[in-house]
Amino acid sequence: MEGLRNDGRRWNELRRIHCQLSTSSTNADGSSYIEQGFTKVLCNVTGPAEPSNRQRVKQDSATVSCEVYFAAFSGTDRIKRGRNDKKVQELQTAIQKTFSSIILTHLFARSEITISIHILSQDGGTLAACINAATLALIDAGIPMTDYVCACTAGQSTSIFDNEGASPDPWLDVNYLEESDIPSLTVATVGDSEKIVALSMENKVRIEALEAMIAVGISGCARVRGIMDKEVRRYGKEKLEAEGE
Amino acid sequence: MPIQIIAPAPFLSAEEEEEEFQVEEDEGGVPLDLDNDGDTAMDGVAASKRKQGRQAAGIVTPGEIVTDDPQWMRGHGTYLSSPTADGESQSIVSSLAGTISKTNKLLSIRALRFRYVPEIGDLVVGRILEVQTKRWRVDIAAPHSAALLLSSINLPGGILRKRTSTDELQIRTFFSEGDLLVAEVQTLNSDGQASLHTRSLKYGKLRNGYFMTIDAGMVRRMKSHVLTMNTSNGGGEVDIYLGVNGYIYIAKHTTPLTEGGVESKSVSITRLEEEASEAIYSNVNEDISPETRAEIARIGCVLRALVKANVKIDEEMLNLGYEAALEEFLEGFDWGSDTEAGKRVVDLALAKRRMG
Repeated sequence: MEGLRNDGRRWNELRRIHCQLSTSSTNADGSSYIEQGFTKVLCNVTGPAEPSNRQRVKQDSATVSCEVYFAAFSGTDRIKRGRNDKKVQELQTAIQKTFSSIILTHLFARSEITISIHILSQDGGTLAACINAATLALIDAGIPMTDYVCACTAGQSTSIFDNEGASPDPWLDVNYLEESDIPSLTVATVGDSEKIVALSMENKVRIEALEAMIAVGISGCARVRGIMDKEVRRYGKEKLEAEGE
Repeated sequence: MPIQIIAPAPFLSAEEEEEEFQVEEDEGGVPLDLDNDGDTAMDGVAASKRKQGRQAAGIVTPGEIVTDDPQWMRGHGTYLSSPTADGESQSIVSSLAGTISKTNKLLSIRALRFRYVPEIGDLVVGRILEVQTKRWRVDIAAPHSAALLLSSINLPGGILRKRTSTDELQIRTFFSEGDLLVAEVQTLNSDGQASLHTRSLKYGKLRNGYFMTIDAGMVRRMKSHVLTMNTSNGGGEVDIYLGVNGYIYIAKHTTPLTEGGVESKSVSITRLEEEASEAIYSNVNEDISPETRAEIARIGCVLRALVKANVKIDEEMLNLGYEAALEEFLEGFDWGSDTEAGKRVVDLALAKRRMG
């Protein structure tokens, strides 16, 4: 099986993405669920609402806050991650920063938009799945955004370069095994444009390979947008049809 | 060099795949029905077919260009794209997933789901969050909590009584934290924060019933949002307060204590009426018979079933739904075990509505 990765995908193939809107019937204003391969994430959005903490009030715009909860059973090892866990905080900050710039916060002065994310299963690309889930939940909540935020991962399969310095193809949408083996990055773009709103890489990689990884990531994001957009339209159509009766 | 990304292995049927392909073809803007200015640029069979196809979908999603025609003004749910370098006109882009609505030359997007935004005159059901010296803060599911001033409630002892410092000290005897009330939006301040009033015998504290929340957009605006329903099975009359904000209260019908005293009040304020008015702020429930409780629960279930099926709630729909639930012999409480029950009730109610 030449040219295939350990789960049978080609270098530029995404894992199966399944997403849903309005999954929670609780008091959340918007909710979503996304599966990217075996990474499963649930997201609830509340807001714009009265800020829970007076100190966080901004006079001219809405505050975006993010809470991330790792289920203890989500990874290969059973790990309980508390509120102050470094990884949790890092994710929260990344998501909060990403969406603060995309949500049209100036429309909701002195209010708060809370994104709460539950990670049910991790199989690589956790941050990407969280961002995608949050985008869908915000759309469901009817919160105005400039565009979809779509995230995707890309990895550099090997450090062997040929004589001209050209790198082999990067791998798109890495799974857990690949993520722990090879350097990878997460990239989030505004819709299918090439504007990057979040970029995170935790490993070292040869500088020659970086550009190709980002390029593949961006193309992956555009594809992810198409998949999410399709689901939003399907959901909207279903909702409008029922109302029309 | 463009990178080709292979889509994930499809779980879709062949037809759906084709559909996806077509969606991708539809790049660049949603057609607007430009009938009022004779824009007939889109003639020809292919164009009209495309137009129909898009209108059937009728949905715009965030980041989608709605129009780049400068004659339109942008309304809610849209923003102007950042100006391009080559001096092209800015286009109106959607920021929500929803349907386009046009008012003259104003383009706005109505989201599929949205949080309640208060408007003057709305009947809302709310819950007291905080008691301050001269006012209450009320949760009405809006971006900001609403204010209810001590001066905008009916004080015991008649409508025309002046507010005194004694009332300020006794503020908790009228409403305290967690109390539910029905009120009307009186004014809005510049950031959309509402100020409520209960200066009518229709409004005031809620008791004898059951509180539930639904999506704000699911309540259709009607002439009256307080419905009184004559329930069967010995349930008696039940009041339904359909708050425009998606908060709903279903309670046993009580004859307003001050009723009949309205006219005589202007003549003289008697001792009896004073006592009656104080009862408005009572926190004690009346005796509610098991039959009434069952009917209240049934109405609650009907509402929930309608919302689940995305059917907007109004008086007609609620009555039909209730009738349907009776016909299906559904008890108020055990719908949970019958997952299809809600759907059956809604289908039956919709069928009844079509019959007229």
